[in-house]
Amino acid sequence: MPGVTVATSLLEKGISEEESPILSELPGSKDGRHHVQSMLMRESLLDKDVQKSTETPVFKMLPEAHVIKIGGRSVMDAGRAIVYPVVEALAQCLKTKKLIIGTGGGVRSRHVLSIGIDLGLPTGVLAQLALADSLGNAHILGTLLAPFGVVAIPPEIFGHLLPLFIASAPGVIFNGDPPYSLWEHLPPSGRIPPHRSDAGSLLLAECFGCKSLTLVKDVDGLYDRDPRHHPGVGLIREIDSSDLKRRNFESLPFERVLLDLLENARQLRSFQIVNGRRPEQIVAALGGEHVGTIVYGNRKNN
Amino acid sequence: MEDDLLTQLGRSLVFGSLDDARLMAQTSAPPPVQILPEANVIKIGGQSFIDRGRVAVFPLIDEIVENLGRHKMIIGTGAGTRARHAYSVGLNLGLPTGVLSVLGTFVSMQNARMLNYLLAKHGIPFIEPAQFAQLPHYLAERGAVVFFGMPPYVYWHANPAVGRIPPHRTDTGSYLVSEVFGTRSMIFVKDEKGLYTADPKKDRNAKFIGKITLTELEQLDLRDLVVERSVLDMMRNATHRRSIQIINGLEPRNLTRALDGEHVGTIITAE
Repeated sequence: MPGVTVATSLLEKGISEEESPILSELPGSKDGRHHVQSMLMRESLLDKDVQKSTETPVFKMLPEAHVIKIGGRSVMDAGRAIVYPVVEALAQCLKTKKLIIGTGGGVRSRHVLSIGIDLGLPTGVLAQLALADSLGNAHILGTLLAPFGVVAIPPEIFGHLLPLFIASAPGVIFNGDPPYSLWEHLPPSGRIPPHRSDAGSLLLAECFGCKSLTLVKDVDGLYDRDPRHHPGVGLIREIDSSDLKRRNFESLPFERVLLDLLENARQLRSFQIVNGRRPEQIVAALGGEHVGTIVYGNRKNN
Repeated sequence: MEDDLLTQLGRSLVFGSLDDARLMAQTSAPPPVQILPEANVIKIGGQSFIDRGRVAVFPLIDEIVENLGRHKMIIGTGAGTRARHAYSVGLNLGLPTGVLSVLGTFVSMQNARMLNYLLAKHGIPFIEPAQFAQLPHYLAERGAVVFFGMPPYVYWHANPAVGRIPPHRTDTGSYLVSEVFGTRSMIFVKDEKGLYTADPKKDRNAKFIGKITLTELEQLDLRDLVVERSVLDMMRNATHRRSIQIINGLEPRNLTRALDGEHVGTIITAE
């Protein structure tokens, strides 16, 4: 990189930037700021045209790994009768596939959120508190998957060491939450942190360029009304994000922010919701079959 | 779980869906407490300020020191030209937004460390996100702390709608600190008086805007802005931090006056 070379040679020769023929020749370099030569030098990163110029193809770090999020309340809190068959299904998948397994926080998260709200704590603090519950569930699931070489990884090192873990183990478990904590975004309504374990799993799959994202819940997929309260409603087999937004369902079986995140995704085109009460769906979904609801993202500005 | 251990809202949250719009609306009350109502968040620009070196930074450091004991200051740092270089290299190599976010974090951390050493003799610490639990103690003891402005989203940084540069950078990270702690002000220290209708460094006809609301700003649809757009998006949903001020830190006394509550730059308000 030319900028690096310039800076390094300046340091080696002990020449100040003011004396440097290379930097002083640059147009506008005398604005009092010490620049390093680069495509974005002196640019406002807030300029819309500059932003557009940065739209280029993205490198995939872990294209063979699958991300699968195991619901907190829907699976982990449902007890042995539900969790053990899910563990068996995951174990079967681990024989042929690399899995990155995220977990939700479930009932304990909801409890701490309700106490936190009652005590007047802001969204960022609620997000920080809730991290502990999904991490607990990651360790619970990690214990059950230990015989298959899969354990929960501490969040502090998880992202940085993920490629190493994926190369050396059949899979890894993390708390599905993104590390937003005190820096959690403010929801448009109320105080519940909008980026929870579904969002963390999607963002991870997108950043690492993973093969698929599967959300394991306690329903077969998306219905136009909650099937637990309205028996007989029809399953929506596939839908795109703009259609979903337009229909504005009062309740969704996944975090609402996923629609925006999926629309801005460059690598991940869809995710599938499957029912953890029917563990064969997990195996089928990771095998590329369409068994639950597939939600596609509509890329805007493209 | 014993139902009588839970409030009505607690029951709804434990048994209902966190993605139910009606239930979400119920979680606004009671209003959140202000955790650090006496503190101020100051964000010091990277490209606009720290990259200017001693000539800009030393007088500002002196002014921060003068305000110790008068105002509590949580000081965040921008990234600047090295982040632009790292983003350029990363974009050229096809790296995703999450990795660019990691790179930007490193640069704003360098800037935080430099300010920290310049303030070290006053006992002012630099804290990373994992040390924020100690922030209230340091603030009570020493009156100021330094942190890196990047929000710690790293690989989980959401993509922007356009391009690949991380959309939530050091302005946003600093702003969110001011909102979550319910501080008394959010001051962005830059090298321009505030917001202009265009980049005043590139357009001589750019006009200064002293005070503006988010709605008015949206109507102007400016091509360039003096703060990250996501700060403005987040202000709409904020409880405590419904206004921000952008000031020219190159002009002596501006920081002090802004800390005293004076209007010296551009004030952007949620309504």
